[in-house]
Amino acid sequence: MIPMKNQNAEKIRKSKPSCKFADILSDPKVKRRWEKVRKYFFLRESTYDMTRKCNIRCKGCYYYQGDKQYAQNNRDPEAWQRLMRAEKKRGITYVVLAGAEPSLVSELCEICYQEMPLGTIATNGLKYIPKSIGYKIHISVWGNDETSYLIRGAKNMLLRQVENYKGDQRAVFVYTFTRDNIHEVYDVIDILATYGCKVTFNIFSAPVDYDGSLRHTTNSLLFTRKTIMDLMSQYPEYVIYSSYNVVAHTHKFGLHDLYSCSYPRMNPSKDIGLGRSFRQYRADLTWNRNTACCVPDTDCYDCRHYAAGSAVVTARLFRHASHPLTFKSWLDYVDTYLAVWVMGYEKGKNLCDEFIAPPGFGVFKD
Amino acid sequence: MTMGINEITLRVSEVMINELKLEDVTPETFDVDMDLVDEVGIDSMDLATVALALQDDFSIRFDEDDYPKLTTVRYIGEYIERKLSS
Repeated sequence: MIPMKNQNAEKIRKSKPSCKFADILSDPKVKRRWEKVRKYFFLRESTYDMTRKCNIRCKGCYYYQGDKQYAQNNRDPEAWQRLMRAEKKRGITYVVLAGAEPSLVSELCEICYQEMPLGTIATNGLKYIPKSIGYKIHISVWGNDETSYLIRGAKNMLLRQVENYKGDQRAVFVYTFTRDNIHEVYDVIDILATYGCKVTFNIFSAPVDYDGSLRHTTNSLLFTRKTIMDLMSQYPEYVIYSSYNVVAHTHKFGLHDLYSCSYPRMNPSKDIGLGRSFRQYRADLTWNRNTACCVPDTDCYDCRHYAAGSAVVTARLFRHASHPLTFKSWLDYVDTYLAVWVMGYEKGKNLCDEFIAPPGFGVFKD
Repeated sequence: MTMGINEITLRVSEVMINELKLEDVTPETFDVDMDLVDEVGIDSMDLATVALALQDDFSIRFDEDDYPKLTTVRYIGEYIERKLSS
């Protein structure tokens, strides 16, 4: 018997659209945005742990879960160059350099950039990544400095991050909402906006077996939702987000339940898309299909991670092309994703400010 | 009047060429048995885009579970033929 959540998904896969796709595109604003985003459909990602080292230890860090943390570092520049060339050959066009802390091996990041010019580096922002590496830089923020010190053990974290990346077109600050730091975001954004820094949001997604106090509850998700909407209206110049991002990432159901995760770890199909091409390399340049996703060792049923959504929601074009507002919401999501992840891409004004439900689900309200 | 399979596959080729802006090929010369993923190089977003255009064109509904398996123009044509006759 199909569980209730999957019955909804089943229904939406089989249901008839309420209008033709051509009718949806007859709105000139929608058509323009569609043409703008579809130019980037060639992006095919894989992710790479650059080193097992990190200069801080954060509670709830996904990297130090599971066995990837024990992979031996491969610091041979030629091995990385060969890997990048092989990746290009199998169709990869976009790299995400992540665990544990890529800034500690910037010479390897530079090699990746020389071979694969589109990508993002996820960093804690404490060590500056040279300007010659033209990737987007995502700087993780986990609350105000007091909370950062408690969770991450680093002092004056935000000011050090801002000092490194203010005025840097590569930089996007990623504020992770945990259950406990929701109200702190106002102080943080105030500082980021003062320095002209762009910010987007992540929702803490518990690693497998994590039972600590950072894990969200339905109440904290709703509070997060309300807070983000408030921030979007207060700081429109600095916040990169959309109403549909809010719905998708603060829903009581996680991304897998809402959209069926397309990463190999949850998707056995090798026919096409991420299930076919995505790999998550460890620091020793090996990979394992059974664990391959953008945030390995996250509890898939709690996953609301911004990186996961960037692939999982955007991949669901087909089911969002069923109604004008649903499609506008999806376009806003893709526009947000591209602005956060692709150098030089400028986000447009959101097309839909309403909360639109994910296909087959409700919006999730109080 | 019902469409024959040849007519359907020709139209599928035409839509695919238009939507994906494929060059150096016409609907008449498109190899309907070519693997769209391995040989033409299209990805899931391309295929979804084509499926949406074909839905409009033939007034049928693709099941989201089905379209990733439609790996050649011939398979797509046969799929549409079945939908039209059901």
